Amino acid sequence: MTELTQFDLVGAWISIFLTLCILSFLYEDNPIYKLAEHLFLGVSIGISITEIYYGVFKPNLLLKLAGGRWLSVIPLILLVMLFFKVSKKYSWVARTPIAFIVAAYAGVKLTGEANANLMTQVAQTMPDLATSWAEHGFWDWSADGAGVFSDVVLVVGLVACLVHFYFSRVPPSVTRYGAKLAIFAGVGVMFFTAAGLLVVDKAGPFSAVFLGMLAGVCAAMPFLAFSTYRPWVTRFGVLMLMLSFGASFGYTVMGRISLAIGRAQEMLGLTRPMEQVVQIHPRIASLVSIVLIVAFLVVWRMRGGGPKEPEPS
Amino acid sequence: MYDLLQRFQNMDRRWIFAGMALAILIPLLFPVEFEFAVDERVSSLYDAVEALPTGSTVFISADFDPASRPELEPFFRANLDHLFRKDIKIVMATLWEFAPPIAVPITEEIAAAHGKEYGVDWVFLGYKPGKELAIKSIGENIPKTFPTDSRGTPVGEIAVMNGIKQAKDFPLLINVSAGFPGTREYVLQIQGQYDLKIASACTAVSGPDYIPFYKAGQLVGLSAGMPGSAQYEKLVWAESEPPKGTRKLATQAVNVLNLGHAYVILLILFGNIAYFLTRPKEVSDD
Repeated sequence: MTELTQFDLVGAWISIFLTLCILSFLYEDNPIYKLAEHLFLGVSIGISITEIYYGVFKPNLLLKLAGGRWLSVIPLILLVMLFFKVSKKYSWVARTPIAFIVAAYAGVKLTGEANANLMTQVAQTMPDLATSWAEHGFWDWSADGAGVFSDVVLVVGLVACLVHFYFSRVPPSVTRYGAKLAIFAGVGVMFFTAAGLLVVDKAGPFSAVFLGMLAGVCAAMPFLAFSTYRPWVTRFGVLMLMLSFGASFGYTVMGRISLAIGRAQEMLGLTRPMEQVVQIHPRIASLVSIVLIVAFLVVWRMRGGGPKEPEPS
Repeated sequence: MYDLLQRFQNMDRRWIFAGMALAILIPLLFPVEFEFAVDERVSSLYDAVEALPTGSTVFISADFDPASRPELEPFFRANLDHLFRKDIKIVMATLWEFAPPIAVPITEEIAAAHGKEYGVDWVFLGYKPGKELAIKSIGENIPKTFPTDSRGTPVGEIAVMNGIKQAKDFPLLINVSAGFPGTREYVLQIQGQYDLKIASACTAVSGPDYIPFYKAGQLVGLSAGMPGSAQYEKLVWAESEPPKGTRKLATQAVNVLNLGHAYVILLILFGNIAYFLTRPKEVSDD
C-alpha cells in the first residue's frame, strides 16, 4: 500500500472542509462561506499567474531575450503599453496594443465562423430527404431519432423561428398573395420531387409521393410568412424556441446536479482507491467539517450574524 | 388542502436544497443500478478510437478544470485506458491553465498501469495561452507552438513527436472540453480547414451547442456530460475492469443523476399543480 504524505492527507481534509464551507451558502451568506470564496479566488489567480509565467513569459519572452533575440522586445513594449490603461492621463497609450489584439482576434474569428459555423450549418438545414428515408426511414430510434420526420421538423422549425424574428410586420397588401404562393411552391416542389425520385429510381411510388409531400411542406413554409396564416407560423416558431430553451435548460440542470454528485462522491470517499480511503477517512472528515461549520453558524447567529430584521418605522 | 398547497408554494428554498442533498446522498450510500442505453454519438466516438490502427498517435486537448472534473474526469480516464490498451500513442496539450495539475497525474497513473513510458508512448506539451490563436497555431505548426514539452525537453528530441508537424498528422483529435476555448473553437478554427477528425467530450451545458457539429459531420463523436461519460465507460469496460486506481465514477453517478432528475421533475409538477389550483380566479369587468 502506498503511504500518503502528510501533505496529501491534510489537503484532502481541507478540500472536504472547503467544499462544505461553500455549500453553507445554501443556508445563507456567512463569513465561513466568504472565507472559502476568497481562498478560491486567491488560489485561482495564483495558479493562473504561475502557469502563465512558466508557460508564456519565460519561454516566449525571458528566454528569448536572454538568448539575444531582440525582436521579442516588441511584444514586451506592447505589454507595457497595455498597463497605461490604469492612468487617466495616458490611457490612450493602451489603444495601440488593444487595436492589435482586437484586429488579430477579429481576423481569426471571422474565417472560422464563416466556414464552419455559417456555411456548414446552413448546408445542414437543407437535408437530403431521399437519402435520409433510405438510411433511417421515418424515425430511427437507434440513431437518436434521425429520419425524414426530424429533417422536416428541422426545416419547418427553422423557417418558423426566422419568421418569428424577422417578419414581425407584413403589409396587408402582401398577405393576399402569401397563401397562393405557398400552395404554388408546395405543390410544385411536391410534384417535381416525386417525379424526380421516380425517374432516377431512388424510391418507390409511395415513398416518392410521401417525400414529395414533405418537401412541399418545407417549400411552402417560407411563403406562409406573407399570408394571413403568419401568426400560426410564428406561434410554431415560439414553440420550437421554447423546446430548444427547455432542452438547453435540462442539460444545464443535469450539469449542475452532476457537479453536486461529484462533490458528494469526493466527500464520501467514492472517488479514491480504497488504499487511500483507509488513510484519509473522507467520511470522518465530512462529519467533522459539518459539525464545525454548524457550530460556527449557530454561534454566528447567536451573536447577531445573518440578515437583520428591518427596524419599525 | 388549499392551505397546504399555498404553503408549498411559499416553502423556504432551503427545504428544496435539503431534499436534493438527500436525493444525491441516499443512492450514493445505498447504491441502486439502472440500465442505460448508449447514444449513437458516444458509440461513434468509441468506434472512432477503435478504428485507429495500433501504434498510431492521437492528439488530446485536455481543456477542463476542477469545476468540470466530475463530468469530464471519468471520460478522460476511460479514454486514456482505451487508447493505451490499444497501444495508441498520445500527444497531450491544454488551453486551460487549470488543466495540468489534473490531467498530468491522471495520465501518469494510467500510463503506469499500462507500462507506458513518457516521451515514447505519451507526452504532455503543456499549457498554451492564446485561445483561438493557439488552436490556429496547433493546426499550422505544432513544434513552433510547443517548442518544448512541459518538462522542458525540445520536441525534436521526443520520440512520440517523430514525424508530427501539424494537427492533420494525427488520425484523430480528442478534445475534452469544459467550455471556452474548447470544441467549438477547434471546429471553427481548424476542423474544416484541415479536414480533421475531431471527437469531443464536453460538459452537459455545452452539449446542445455541439450536437449540431456532430450532426454536420464536423465531429466524429460526442460525449456530453455525466451520462456521456457513463456510456463511454460502459463501452470501454464492457469486458474488462478499469485500471488500478480508477473507479467507474460516471456509471455510479448516472444512477444517482436519475433520482436527482426525478426529484426536480416532481418539484416542477407539484409547483405547477399547486399554482394552478391556488391561483385567484380572474374577475371579469362585467
